[in-house]
Amino acid sequence: MRNLFAGLGAFQLLLGCHAVTHTFDWNVTWVTANPDGLADRKVIGINDQWPLPVLEVNKGDRVVVNMFNGLGDKKTSIHWHGMYQEGTNDMDGPSMVTQCPVAPGSSYTYNFTVNQNGTYWYHCHTDYCYPDGYRAPFIVHDNSSYFYDDYDEEMTLTMSDWYHTLAEDIKPEFMSLYNPTGAEPIPDSFLFNNSISQSYPVQAGKTYLIRLINISAFVGQYFWIEDHTMRIVEIDGVYVDEAEADRLYLSVAQRYAVLVTMKNSTEKNYGMVMVADSSLLDTIPSDLLLNQTNWLEYNSGAAHNNVTLEVSDSSEIYPFDDINLVPHDRVELYKNPTKTVEVTVIMENLDNGDGYALLNNITYTAPKVPTLYTVKYAGDLATDSTVYGEYTHSIVLEQDEVVEVILSNQDTGTHPFHLHGHNFQLLDRYPPYGANFYDYDAGTEFATFDSSNHTAFPTYPARRDTFVLPPGGYYVIRFVASNPGVWLFHCHIDWHMMQGLAMTFVEDPLAIQDQFSISQNQIDVCEAASMSWKGNAAGNTEDYLDLKGQNKPPGFIPAGFTTRGIVALVFSCICAVVGMISISIYGISDLKFTMHESGLGDESATAQEREEYRD
Amino acid sequence: MANVFAVQVFFIVFRECLEAIIIVSVLLSFLKQCLGQPGQDQTIYKRLRKQVYVGSIVGVLICLCIGAIFIGLFYGLGHDAWSTSEDLWEGIFYIIATVMITIMGLALLRINKTKQKWRVKIAKALVEKSHQKSRWMRSDWGRRYAMFILPLITTMREGVEAVVFVGGVSLGYPATSFPLPVVTGIIAGLLTGWLIYRGGNVMSIQIFLIASTCVLYLIAAGMFSKAIWSLQYYRFEVGVGSDVSEEGSGAGSYNILDTVWHVNCCNPETDNGWDVFQAILGWQNTGTYGSIISYNIYWLFIMACVAWMMYEERTGRAPLAQKFWQVLARVPGLKRIAGKKLEAMNIQDESVVRQVNSSMFHDSTIETEMVQLSK
Repeated sequence: MRNLFAGLGAFQLLLGCHAVTHTFDWNVTWVTANPDGLADRKVIGINDQWPLPVLEVNKGDRVVVNMFNGLGDKKTSIHWHGMYQEGTNDMDGPSMVTQCPVAPGSSYTYNFTVNQNGTYWYHCHTDYCYPDGYRAPFIVHDNSSYFYDDYDEEMTLTMSDWYHTLAEDIKPEFMSLYNPTGAEPIPDSFLFNNSISQSYPVQAGKTYLIRLINISAFVGQYFWIEDHTMRIVEIDGVYVDEAEADRLYLSVAQRYAVLVTMKNSTEKNYGMVMVADSSLLDTIPSDLLLNQTNWLEYNSGAAHNNVTLEVSDSSEIYPFDDINLVPHDRVELYKNPTKTVEVTVIMENLDNGDGYALLNNITYTAPKVPTLYTVKYAGDLATDSTVYGEYTHSIVLEQDEVVEVILSNQDTGTHPFHLHGHNFQLLDRYPPYGANFYDYDAGTEFATFDSSNHTAFPTYPARRDTFVLPPGGYYVIRFVASNPGVWLFHCHIDWHMMQGLAMTFVEDPLAIQDQFSISQNQIDVCEAASMSWKGNAAGNTEDYLDLKGQNKPPGFIPAGFTTRGIVALVFSCICAVVGMISISIYGISDLKFTMHESGLGDESATAQEREEYRD
Repeated sequence: MANVFAVQVFFIVFRECLEAIIIVSVLLSFLKQCLGQPGQDQTIYKRLRKQVYVGSIVGVLICLCIGAIFIGLFYGLGHDAWSTSEDLWEGIFYIIATVMITIMGLALLRINKTKQKWRVKIAKALVEKSHQKSRWMRSDWGRRYAMFILPLITTMREGVEAVVFVGGVSLGYPATSFPLPVVTGIIAGLLTGWLIYRGGNVMSIQIFLIASTCVLYLIAAGMFSKAIWSLQYYRFEVGVGSDVSEEGSGAGSYNILDTVWHVNCCNPETDNGWDVFQAILGWQNTGTYGSIISYNIYWLFIMACVAWMMYEERTGRAPLAQKFWQVLARVPGLKRIAGKKLEAMNIQDESVVRQVNSSMFHDSTIETEMVQLSK
């Protein structure tokens, strides 16, 4: 099975010794699916198929995907998650970062060489389309991995949250005045390999390489196998020294490859347990199943028992801490960072009442021109981050510099941040996975990184492309800016992307200008989407420093009294004072009635006064 | 503080108390003028005066009982039903309370006029009775105890009115917020009434009344504004679901699109002291378009009312009032009420008073003694 890839590509080489080109013609269309057996819904399919094809290639292969948008009502694009795209930044896929979104009826050709191994995935990266089912594994096989001889079979398992509603219909309720806390949409169910509670036949005594991918839009998952130990060998495409783990936590977009040796007896089937990270859910509907058992099926005739949990809440599960892994290639800690990027996650309401996510004070707002194209045409100004606009939160990196990112969290939830085009070294994280992980989730105090007083960084830090930021905590990562391109750094929870939790690294822009030239296909795609492919973030092609007209997020909510508040308050005060004066005048005028109090039937009362006594 | 002392309740009790005392004092001055002059029979005067006192006290006692039952029923049966959608009910109750305070408040400033009015009213009642020779008035018992029954009915009427008002105003308050303002309201009312009866400095009493009326209307304006605020907030809450309270005073705890100002402090619901500010001035840390506009409209409305009433007093004509009732008179069912009002407009009050003056006591229990009194 190892080399017998599913017949997805037009070209497949059985032995995978030579680099080959896999060409796919994908027509992206709506299809109906019901993976959880609960509800039919519209999903995004490829060539009228859903689940989507699993891409399986060998290191060194070229992938060519001609994607036609046949959806009719939705723009789209594909991001090859974890692919470094060295020299092919324009194939990375995020709309308005490296390309224009592909409008219905147009096509975009992705064409890149895969020079890396491991477990990846691909998904839509335009607005919020991958929760609609547009995501699937992307596996790069490697017959020279250090653990190649340690396993007999491979298995790829995905985990995912699942909504019965289209993301575009979820958005108006999520980004709403009436959702001030920014409570994320609660999934309707959780899928395991695009299905629920399935059996996976295994052979006793054999060792399996199990690739786990969380392709969710929102919810992280805990994973373990009843009575089996997992040996981690790869995270996010980076080989690590074998490490035994009882429990794994996979945030959105994270991958683990683990070796699992099967028992020799076939008497029993063992449950693979998937537990949703319920700390992310603001409410838990009574009909939402948080735990799911799938089975390693040794014997189809034996019982398939659900695994019962010994914890009442997912936060009591202490997963393996990925920061302790050691990369197999022994790449040392990148020393002497020349650029330190300190950013803090803040969730806040802006003045339209909707909840937004900010990095420092900026909520990512897409520019009018894809940032990569701005780089291309900005000339020498490309090194000035001004041209990319204030709200793309762009930071220009110099060639080969060591970049340190200190990411702090002033929000009460976890945020799995993903960096495009790189993996990064994991230097420090606080609070660590385990009993203290939720120590700062009350939102009242936050842990902050002290660069002069911290635990020693690892000599050989683990590397990955998606790393979980603890609630109220921080993490520190480093990478080398050796891959010219425009790379998004963002929280991979798609709802938080919708809220703007992203920033942009413009890495060695002058090198990008040399490497990249815009193709006719890319120009056509922009024009079909009625977008400019030239100019700064505001679409200004004359003066790249003039950002007038750039896309802007709503304004900040003023902290106290503004002019109109003062005017209103003063006017109210005046009104009240005048009102009381009029009452006082009325009150004083009552004194005239005391004059003829002396007697009943006072004859001196005038006719007019008499009238005043009328009822 | 609003949990211990509902300011609105204080003012209502105070006001009703004062009115009852004015009526009683008018009765007493009737007696004094007719019977209490030197050289007249002091025993009859004293007996009747005693009747007035006893009648008033019994009336107060009865209405205290009614009030207790009323409030007991109210908190026993209904109150829980409102806690679920608190802001909606708060909005509705505050509107009711505002209307009540608005209607009765300005009358507080017409203590002297009210005195006159009651003189006429009581006289009218007596005249009517003696003319129609109604059964109880003609009966021996009725004659003997007229001076007991009148104050009894008066104080009961005012008392029940107070209970209804207090009930309406305080729907949104916990039971603990009653006793103190009721007791202090009664004390203040008695004190003021006594001062008025004793003929203290008219001017300073009037200034006191003006000041308290101003406070009453500040409260009412605040309540009206708060009512609109609560209704808007209810709508926002329904839209949000149950999450709003979680947000405290910060962003997201209010509808930013409706907001004119917002300060992240001074929340009357949670911060100490600001609830007093709210009870008296209607303060909210979020000023919405609705609450601010309603506050100002309320004051403009009060100014218009004052202007209207002063115009009526000066010219003797209520603009549009006659027309209003004439129109109403044509509406089937309302004809009787409207007819009465129109009739009342045309009665010469002072002549009634004079009539009483001359005839009332001739026909009463003390007929024989009264002979020497007549003019």
